[in-house]
Amino acid sequence: MRRRVAAATGCLLALVMTLAACSKNTGQHGTTDSNRKLVGVIATDPKDSQGPAPEVTGASKGGTFYVLKSAKISHLDPQRIYSFVGLQAAPLYARTLTTWKDDGKGNLKLVGDLATTPGEDVNKDCKTWKFTVKDGVKFEDGTAITSKSIAYGIARSFDADLTGGPTYIQEWLANSADYDTAWDFKANKASLPPGLTTPDDKTLQFQFAKPHCDLPFAASLPFTAPMEPAKDTGVNLDTQPLASGPYKVTKNVPGVELDMERNPNWDPATDPVRHQYPDKFVWRFGADRDSADNRMISDSGPDQTALAWDDVSTSLMAKVAGNAALSDQVLTSPTPSEARLSINMQRVTDLSIRQALNYAIDRDDLIKTLGGANVAEPVTTLMPPSTIGYQAYDAYPAGKTGDPAKAKEVLAGKTPSLVLAVMDDEQDLELGTQLKNNLEKAGFKITVKPVPEDSMLDAVGEKNNPWDLYISNWAADWPSGASILPPLYDGRGIKDSGNNDVSYMNDPAIDAEFDRVLAMDPAQQGPEWAKLDQRVMKEIAPAVPLYVDVRYVLHGSKAGGLYVGSVFGYPAFTNAFVKS
Amino acid sequence: MLRFLTRRLLSAVLVLFAVSVLSFLMFFALPRDPVTAMCPKNCNPARLERVRQELGLSDPLYQQYVGYMKGIFVGRDLSSALGGHCDAPCLGYSYVNSEPVTRTITRVLPVTLSIVLPAAVLWLALGVGLGMISALRRGTLLDRLAIGFSLAGASLQLYFVGAVLLLVFCYTLHVVPVPHYTSIWSNPLDWADGLVLPWVTLAFLFSAIYARLSRAQMLETLSEDFVRTARAKGLSKSTVYGRHALRAAITPIVTIAGMDVGAALGGTVVTETTFGLQGLGRTVWDAVREGDLPTLMATVLIAAVFVVVANILVDVLYAFIDPRVRLR
Repeated sequence: MRRRVAAATGCLLALVMTLAACSKNTGQHGTTDSNRKLVGVIATDPKDSQGPAPEVTGASKGGTFYVLKSAKISHLDPQRIYSFVGLQAAPLYARTLTTWKDDGKGNLKLVGDLATTPGEDVNKDCKTWKFTVKDGVKFEDGTAITSKSIAYGIARSFDADLTGGPTYIQEWLANSADYDTAWDFKANKASLPPGLTTPDDKTLQFQFAKPHCDLPFAASLPFTAPMEPAKDTGVNLDTQPLASGPYKVTKNVPGVELDMERNPNWDPATDPVRHQYPDKFVWRFGADRDSADNRMISDSGPDQTALAWDDVSTSLMAKVAGNAALSDQVLTSPTPSEARLSINMQRVTDLSIRQALNYAIDRDDLIKTLGGANVAEPVTTLMPPSTIGYQAYDAYPAGKTGDPAKAKEVLAGKTPSLVLAVMDDEQDLELGTQLKNNLEKAGFKITVKPVPEDSMLDAVGEKNNPWDLYISNWAADWPSGASILPPLYDGRGIKDSGNNDVSYMNDPAIDAEFDRVLAMDPAQQGPEWAKLDQRVMKEIAPAVPLYVDVRYVLHGSKAGGLYVGSVFGYPAFTNAFVKS
Repeated sequence: MLRFLTRRLLSAVLVLFAVSVLSFLMFFALPRDPVTAMCPKNCNPARLERVRQELGLSDPLYQQYVGYMKGIFVGRDLSSALGGHCDAPCLGYSYVNSEPVTRTITRVLPVTLSIVLPAAVLWLALGVGLGMISALRRGTLLDRLAIGFSLAGASLQLYFVGAVLLLVFCYTLHVVPVPHYTSIWSNPLDWADGLVLPWVTLAFLFSAIYARLSRAQMLETLSEDFVRTARAKGLSKSTVYGRHALRAAITPIVTIAGMDVGAALGGTVVTETTFGLQGLGRTVWDAVREGDLPTLMATVLIAAVFVVVANILVDVLYAFIDPRVRLR
């Protein structure tokens, strides 16, 4: 549900694509779980939220776990975190109201983290939510974490100085997108935002003007991490956050190194998901992707216990995929980040044209252009396979390589001229050429229009943009259809600029369906979103689903317990350990 | 000499002023808006404007510039979003790195100095040495080898040589560690160990030009009348070559060395990227990509200071090396 994150994904993908296009490697390799099917639930049994987390087979305590990454983590302050790496690093030092129990195989369960359960919908209307804080949870300085410190953490996310983080809970509490003017944090530090109350040290209550059934999901984002008012250093907290998780930041040289050591005040008995196996986590920034991967291949010294965070560059993909000895060091999985060919429905009003585009698409060739199966995996649904309740279907079956004849038949003699906007970097231009060649076989006339990379996201978000087709990415903040379909296809949210509904689909019947499903118990929503996904594709076809990104990273031979997290599709550290 | 220095310093100030104004304008000409990156989702124009005001980016350009320059000399008060009061020399507060830029610079400058200065000593010693030897042994196998070596250095690129050296000596043979920076004051051996590969790479590439240049200069000088006269007076070979010929030949080399070292200190982007070191060059690059104006301004200014100071130093050195040059 993040334009920025979607953009970041786009950038990452762009990098992958450039290099991927060189090798055309299609070998599938390593510990891939490409058939990962997400079974996600909200825990109803409070026992699920209790610690300790089950021991990881083969794990032992000790050692230093290294993470090599080319660029620094943009924010460490939990209230400001919104990058993928930040979201994956934060659980090491920050605990939140709720969290995901993820087995790395697709079984996801939302559980209470600092709270005893993933939240109680008091009146069953999703407007009043109650959380009870666990006993024995403490900050790194030994102070007890109370409902008041969690509420203060949420309150400080209203501070206009603390930019960068997600804004769901702030907007829901303030019932306005201008939450920072609706409640001024700096002027009201001693109080709490409207709707947020702490009747006692253990109870935290949210009161919303409108129903927000997704609160338990949103509460898993780091902005619900607790904070002691006396220790709040404002913008400077970003370099030295206050830990509540199993590790605490002991050294932070921005852009160079980030060290985390064991937090003795973290009690495993209170934590259902995290471990504290390595003595230390050391993040090193600056090494480019090639050099980090070469170090993983070389596998010597401290690099044996390291993870190279960035995806394997395509210049090395063939070498890595073709080397069986490295298969134990590869971590790969499809991710929830999906790319689609969005159709601007304000311009392409004819349903048969949108359907014909779906019949014509040659995903096989598209993925080869991207770099093969280690870079992307085809999809035919609007929601990625890693969404709770996902059901596979293909509304326009045309095989892996598309069916130009069927597309022509649907077009019934029409030869639509369409403008395809692509980012003006090398890989997107290449993708544009591929799509043009592909679609023109079915009778379309495609003009590829390059748009400066920096302005692409804003340009397609302009309601009156002059293009018919564009590739857009979406990575949801939680794996529910609620954070995919309504933000992308609810026509009531369309504004002059800054749109997420870049298909500009505006169908009152579907909007009403969105409202109906959103008002349901989140645990029941999954299959409903899946049905709606099919209905939208069959009746409206606002886009051509293309592919999901595939994560493909390397780690040292003695780095254990790593898995690709099901929620964001990046390596997760909750089970990480150093092999002895 | 004093008049010369005063004049050069005044023109240096003018150059630095021009650079500061240009880099300020350059930032505002960049296509990306740093505020959009601060405000990731559902940022309506009103909220964007509030963030912009908070960061001081909605003030008139000249006001922002004056505020920035004032901070360097007397310090300034920044908004709470920018860390509050900032002592002189205040280079602003980076909203991307969440720290005062002066702290960033204090951290990254020693890295660049540690890469460039020892490498410069190496490349000058190697380049000038090779050039002299091949000039004095003109036409011999040694001369040809030295020429071949310098030709290779002159035609290769740092990102290629660096990657090959890393692959061979670091990842495969494990004879040198992965390049890293440790302060020379805390552990001199580890400092040298971590930077030896960048030094060797830079020395190999840069020395090529110096070898060719000093060979040509030396050959030209050796054919001058004063050398013949000195030899005819009965001076020893070492005195003629070392004191007379070398001194005359080295003047243009000093000019180029001054410019090279100044420019390298200002930003070894490729070196630092190739070896994964976070020095001034990488910091400039990151600042451009992230639209981080305060850091960009500071790094560009510091780079300009290096180039300007290096040029003044070269001019002063001239007077000492070549007695024919007198500074007025």
